[in-house]
Amino acid sequence: MASEGEISLLVVVVDVNPIWWGQHAQSEPEFTLSKCLDAVMVMGNAHMAMTRTNQLAVIAAHCQDSHFLYPSKRLKGNDDTSSSRDGKYELLSVTNNLIAEEIRDIMSKTELTGNSTDTLLAGSLAKALCCILLKTVVFLLAQEIKSRILVIKAADDCALQYMNFMNVIFAAQKQNILIDACVLDSDSGLLQQACDITGGLYLKIPQKVALAQYLLWVFLPDSEQRSLLVLPPPAHVDYRAACFCHRTLIEIGYVCSVCLSIFCNFSPICTTCETAFKIQLPQMVKPKKKKPKLPA
Amino acid sequence: MASLSEEVLLVVKKVRQKKQDGTLYLMAERIAWGPEGKDRFTVSHSYSDIRCQKISPDGKAKVQLQLVLHTGESTTFHFANESTSRKDWEAAKELLQQLLPKFKKKANKELEEKNKMLQEDPVLFQLYKDLVVSQVISAEEFWANRLGGINNGESAACENKQEVGISGAFLADIRPQTDGCNGLRYNLTADIIESIFRTYPAVKQKYKENVPHNLTEKEFWTRFFQSHYFHRDRISTGTQDIFSECARQDEKGLKSLVTQGVKNPMVDLLSLEDKTLDEGYGISSALPSTSHASRTVKESSNFAIIKRFNHHSAMVLAAGSRKRDVPADQASETSSTDGNSRDSDFFQPPLKKVKLQEAIEYEDLQQENRPKTVALNLKKSDRYAHGPVPLQSQQYTTSQDIINSVNYIKHEMSNYKPNLTQVLSSAAASSAIAALSPGGVLMQQVAQQAINQMVPTEIQAELKHLYVAAGELLRHFWTCFPVNTAFLEEKLTGHLECMLQAAYSKFHIWQTRRMMRKT
Repeated sequence: MASEGEISLLVVVVDVNPIWWGQHAQSEPEFTLSKCLDAVMVMGNAHMAMTRTNQLAVIAAHCQDSHFLYPSKRLKGNDDTSSSRDGKYELLSVTNNLIAEEIRDIMSKTELTGNSTDTLLAGSLAKALCCILLKTVVFLLAQEIKSRILVIKAADDCALQYMNFMNVIFAAQKQNILIDACVLDSDSGLLQQACDITGGLYLKIPQKVALAQYLLWVFLPDSEQRSLLVLPPPAHVDYRAACFCHRTLIEIGYVCSVCLSIFCNFSPICTTCETAFKIQLPQMVKPKKKKPKLPA
Repeated sequence: MASLSEEVLLVVKKVRQKKQDGTLYLMAERIAWGPEGKDRFTVSHSYSDIRCQKISPDGKAKVQLQLVLHTGESTTFHFANESTSRKDWEAAKELLQQLLPKFKKKANKELEEKNKMLQEDPVLFQLYKDLVVSQVISAEEFWANRLGGINNGESAACENKQEVGISGAFLADIRPQTDGCNGLRYNLTADIIESIFRTYPAVKQKYKENVPHNLTEKEFWTRFFQSHYFHRDRISTGTQDIFSECARQDEKGLKSLVTQGVKNPMVDLLSLEDKTLDEGYGISSALPSTSHASRTVKESSNFAIIKRFNHHSAMVLAAGSRKRDVPADQASETSSTDGNSRDSDFFQPPLKKVKLQEAIEYEDLQQENRPKTVALNLKKSDRYAHGPVPLQSQQYTTSQDIINSVNYIKHEMSNYKPNLTQVLSSAAASSAIAALSPGGVLMQQVAQQAINQMVPTEIQAELKHLYVAAGELLRHFWTCFPVNTAFLEEKLTGHLECMLQAAYSKFHIWQTRRMMRKT
């Protein structure tokens, strides 16, 4: 349990890429976006119900932009929220209703621009970091605040977001914010790196239907409690670099000593900085070996 | 018999050693004892081997002298001569006392150095224990490479030692105490005496002149404290005091100090004076005149005290900046009581220039003189911005697919209502739990434990020591290459072989012992 007065903030970033969800809903009708959001709500309720000081934020990552599902701007304008009839803790019912309203709103406003079909995950993560920062500042004088981000990922990685993603990851690491990842479909190298660098958990779920169970079991406890539990071990992360000429991942390559660009084949002139390498003719050119990083 | 080149310093007859009568000889470099009537020495120790000497207390009938060696052995000599035993014994003791310290330092230094090295570095100590104590390597080989810097290190250490300055209050430390019966006790330690000599070279000169010919040390210091030179109200009345000469020299020194002035052009001493604002804000009396006659008695005594304080401070500062090994030229010492050595006179103009420059110029505002570098010229810098392309196969979707998907999801979510009671079926939940429990699909690697958690720490530590020792042996092996000399060849084939054998057998013993313990 969190110690007296310690605030734990959980930010859930849900990938609501309509293209991916639409495709998969047709092939797997038993697990749809609605079910996914239900599972997220269950976990959010559980988090808020554990301690009064726990905070929640939910962000939807769309392919056009990213929205805050909770807390949303509707929060202030709504005085006529219907009180739930089943005697639920009012905060939870308000939260659930807000999230449902917001997602309906977002999905109805989806427009096809045809350019981007990838989820803007880096942007959502950046928004999550800002939200955490805001809450940290607000609560700074009062108590300690511990935050973590949970990413529920559906669609594939977008290679164009690489730099932004890495910046976000390192910013989170500096702020001691964990990034957890719950991957529904295919492994994501970027998220694996994110979890490895920040110290979070990466899990690829074998059964999407049991998403709620996985969320509650693995991702609900915070970092202190995780050390006491037996959880899935960290996965092997592929830290290989990509060569600058073909963008393929290589284990052994050539590195220019001036600009540090990586090549898979030797060439006498570096194409990035145009340095000429002097070769000693009688000897064979020895490739500068780069050892791949393999975790123990 | 003693070689002819050895100088015999003392011969004591009728000295018994181990119940045998004989003669004790003290030579320049060793002490030896030979039995009566024989020519040879049966016992001979060089002074560097002797750690200390022990004497029997005064009251005992037996007059004995015991020599304790570094190795722990001891030899006892009994001075049996009835009439002169005491005197002989004292003579021998004093001579030994003088000779031993000279030889002691040489041998001890090496040992001390070794001990220090072993104490500072626990890894080295452990290595020493593993290899030398268990006789895998001999001690000389162990220290062969490590003590290379002893002779060089010595002088370097001396250079790095900081000189101890002089406390300005050393005279105050003397602190006279009443003796009870109208006398005063002054406590003089060696430090205070040294400070006095360093600060006032004139006193040192007087000391050298008078002690021990005319006065004993005690008398010298008694006179020193009694003289007016020491006391506050220094009135040079021209008495027969040996220190009146010092007083005159001090006056001269002070005058030359004043005339020399301060070398720093930024400091203007003459502008400092006691300023008065108004009545009650300071001394509103007239400026003190410098002529003797118009001064009152009180003013003149204040003047004298202030002069003495200034002089004392100047001398302390001068003594601190003077180097320790001052040349034995006494004349230069006494003439430099003004506090500045002669050399500094030559440096006056450049020093002034340096001070002026320091005040005018700022280092940061100067042009930077960095070495010339070549600028980095990147043609295609956007290459750094891209990450690795994922290896997954690209899934191509037609635009029709996309439109269909989006419409489907829009339709689905338009009627979205959270239905939290039907989120999870028990079958799904139990299969998920099974997958997450140890042994499940996701938990395959948890069973592997790190080796360092399974092996207890003492075994780890012992293994580490063995490993370091093996590394040391390897180092010895590799230093034999290239095999240039016959010595190295012999070492390789013979000596090293048995070293490695000894090491291997030691490891084997450890291994079996450990395994026995387990089972």
